[in-house]
This record gives sequence, structure tokens and C-alpha cells, in this order.
Amino acid sequence: MNVAWWCSSTPGQVWTWRYTPFLGVWVVAATFIGGYVAAHRRAGRPLERGRTRRWVLGVLSLVLVSEWPIGQLGVGYLATVGIARYVIYTFVAAPLLLSGLPDWLVERWFPAGSRRSNALRAVTRWPVALLVFNAVLFGTHLPITIDTLKVTQLGSFGVDVLHLGAALIWWWPAMQRIPAENAIQEPLRAFYLFASSVLMFVPAAFLTFSPLPLYGLYELAPPLWLGFDPLADQQAAGIIMNVVGGFVLWGIIAALFLRWAGEREAEDEATRRTRDAATLRRMTALESDQVETEDPGHATTT
Amino acid sequence: MRAPRPANAIGPLLALGLLLTACGPASATSTAAQGLEAGPDGWHGQPVGAEQSVPTGAFTTTEGRTVELADAFLDTPTLLFFGYTNCPDICPVHLAAIASAMETAGVSYDELDVVFVSVDPDRDTPSRIEAFLDNFDPRMHGLHADREVVTGALGQLELSGPVVEGEDPRGDGDLIGHPAQVIGFDADGDIRRVWPFGARRSDWVSDLPRIVEEWS
Repeated sequence: MNVAWWCSSTPGQVWTWRYTPFLGVWVVAATFIGGYVAAHRRAGRPLERGRTRRWVLGVLSLVLVSEWPIGQLGVGYLATVGIARYVIYTFVAAPLLLSGLPDWLVERWFPAGSRRSNALRAVTRWPVALLVFNAVLFGTHLPITIDTLKVTQLGSFGVDVLHLGAALIWWWPAMQRIPAENAIQEPLRAFYLFASSVLMFVPAAFLTFSPLPLYGLYELAPPLWLGFDPLADQQAAGIIMNVVGGFVLWGIIAALFLRWAGEREAEDEATRRTRDAATLRRMTALESDQVETEDPGHATTT
Repeated sequence: MRAPRPANAIGPLLALGLLLTACGPASATSTAAQGLEAGPDGWHGQPVGAEQSVPTGAFTTTEGRTVELADAFLDTPTLLFFGYTNCPDICPVHLAAIASAMETAGVSYDELDVVFVSVDPDRDTPSRIEAFLDNFDPRMHGLHADREVVTGALGQLELSGPVVEGEDPRGDGDLIGHPAQVIGFDADGDIRRVWPFGARRSDWVSDLPRIVEEWS
């Protein structure tokens, strides 16, 4: 059985359904889950069911798209699967991992005032996070990057680390709830996510509308089936990025915005009720005063 | 400075060890994904030093006609490729690239013949060759002949093969070794350029109009 560290493209190698385990994926998964459990034990805190589930699901989604066969197909054979991997890293794994982190663990890993904490605060400020995310998105989807880095396991691993790191940084301000930790609220959050979705249309449009295959790696890979067209594969990859960058992200924006609008409306309603109640009390008091003035013998107290 | 504790050093050492082994194996058909570099004359196909012509030999077309290779495709520039229908990598990649680039560049099959000669006569019947080429473009010509005729044609071009290279990893019989380049002949049947494996559609889109314009 072939064993490798990380999925990479091996030009000219014919695809077969022979299992090739990627050891690095399992090392990373074990480190993520082991580190999470160990941190809880060291802190003497119990594992919270919901958060732990989300953390584990985040790790499992990483394993799913990095291990054979999806990892290998995405890195060496099909642009569609390659983009789907990016989408899972960015829109599934990263938010699940972040939502699985309790605040105390973030404070423990990034102690206030430490260099690590300062660096985290610097890169998760929303304009910086937006810049980092898009720089990685554009940079790692350039043909030269894909054709150069994905042919080695180290390069391919580096690209995956960049994707996950940029996604974590990008989600941070949108998912944080503490303003001091760079959290942003509506309507800024909606703008932040919307801006990202619009920028994502740029590489997606290149993939969808290019008249020629952009990536030599996928173009020259042995086809999985006869009649397979790398250009159609690339167009499908662009559509995946468009659909997720567009509709799914817009769905998230709409849901967050509607929730925020609902909360605002509930707050307004509560304020209005308080104000109405106060007004009613004042009017009743005024009426009582009037009755007392007109007929002091029949005055009542309320 | 504090020395790292052994327990803390295991993780980074393990990671380093794994990363150092991270050099993917390459196969015989490995190639740079950047495509062919254009020469000073702007061609992506590589010039051929030797003076050679379309090889001779009697071949059967997919329609069942017997043709003389050297005569059949005269008066039109020709791209000739030796491959086989079970080929898992080079053949489908080359043929898909040419078919797609012909369409993109607006070059018609009346202006340029694309000829596929099977190097695996035992498995590749004319009907099988026809079905194989239909996956790319039915206007491509498929030719079949006995092994001796094919070997003779390759020999005239100073090319080796066909040879059995071992078992197909897909469990699809044997892999056959064959030349990996597409050979270009002008309308007079003289060899002009070759495109090795690694030629991308962009290379073909650039070269195909020039073939029609300069070699007709």
C-alpha cells in the first residue's frame, strides 16, 4: 500500500481506486482533537457537549476533504473537487472550529498582553481580516501557484494551511461576540460578509468564463474517464465558487441581518411598551387629579 | 536560553521528518504543468532537425478502406499521433487538447488532418478506434494496421515502440509504450515540428492557425 504525508499532484500518475492514506492528515486531526481535550483537562474544565461536537465536526470535515480520495482527486485530477475542498475548508471547517472554541480557551492560548494575543488582535481587525482572506483567496488560485505548489506534498500542505488560517482569521470578527476582541455587529458585519462574497466572484468568474483551462495541472492530468473535458471541469469549479460565494454566503448574510433586525425590532417594541406604560400611568394620574379638582368629595385613589 | 524539553521537541521533529519525506514520486509521463515554452520564432511546437516525410505503409481506416499513409493525407497539413485506445494518460490528453483547440482557434478539419494510428492492433479494432475518437471529435482519422506495419512506420520516423510496459494500474490489460509527441507534417508531407507531451491548449491555439497558414 502506498503511504504519503499529504495529498499532492503526481503528474502523469493514472488515477486508481487504490487507497493511499495520508499520514499528515491523521497527525493534524489527532493534534487538533488531542490538544482540545488536553487543554480542557489541564484547565480542570469539563468538555461542553455542543462546543466539543462542533470542534470534532470541524476536524472531521478537514479529514474528509484532505484524506484520500477527495484530497487526491482535488489536488491532482479535478478542479471541481479542488474548489469544493477550498469551500469546505473555508465555509464549513473554519466556522465549526471557531464556534467550538470556548472563550476561556482562547484566553489561555492567547494570554492577554502576550505577543500571540497582540498578533491575533492585529490580524483579526475586520479590514485586515478581509485583506488577508482575499489575498490568500487570489494568491492561492493563481495558475502559477497551483501548478507550482500542488505538485509537492509540502507545497500542497502549505496551501491548505493558508486556506484554513485565512478562513479562521476571516470568520473571527464575524463570529466573535466581544467588541474588545474585534467583534463586529450589524450592519457592518453584513457589509463585511457581502464585500467578501463580491470579491469571491472575481476568481470564480475567471474559472467560469476563461476559454482555456487555466491550470496545467488539471489539464494534463490523466483523465478519470474518456471524453472528460478539463474546461468543463474548470467551469463547474467556477460555478461552485460562485454559488457558495454568492448564494450561500448571501443566505448567511440575510439570516444574520434578519436576526439582527428582529432583535432591534424586539428592543424597539420593548422600549415602546415601556414608554406607553409610562404615558398611560401619567394620563391616569392626570385624570385622577382632574376628577379630584372637579368633585373633591368623590376622589378615589388608584 | 532555556533548552526545549524533550517532550516538546518530539512534535516539531516528527513534523519535520514527515515534511522532509514530502517529495511526491513522478512517473514516466511527468511534465511541467506550465506547458511548452514558445521559441524565438513564437512557435510552441519544437522544430525537427532531420528531413523526414510521412511514413509509408498500408493502413485500414475506421470505415474499412485501405489507404497508403504517405498518400492519404497529402495536400493538407497533418498532425500524426501514435497511441492506443486503452491509453490512460498521454493519448486522451493530447487528443482532447487538439480537439478543443481546433474549435477555439477556429481551424477546421478540412484545413488540417488529425490522424491517430493505433500501436495496439490486437485490442484496437477499427470500430473500437472509431468509438475512441468519437470522444474527442469524429472528424479525426483513425488508422489500424498489423504490428509490423506500425513498427515500420515508427522506424521510418526514427521512433521506437510499441513495447509492452507492464500492467495497467487500472487492471485494464497491458500498458503500451509509444512515442509521446504529436508530429506535424506540411501539405507536401514533410515533417516540420513536434509537440511533446505537456503541450497545452493554449500552445495549440497559438500554433494551429500558423500551421494552416504556413504549411498549406
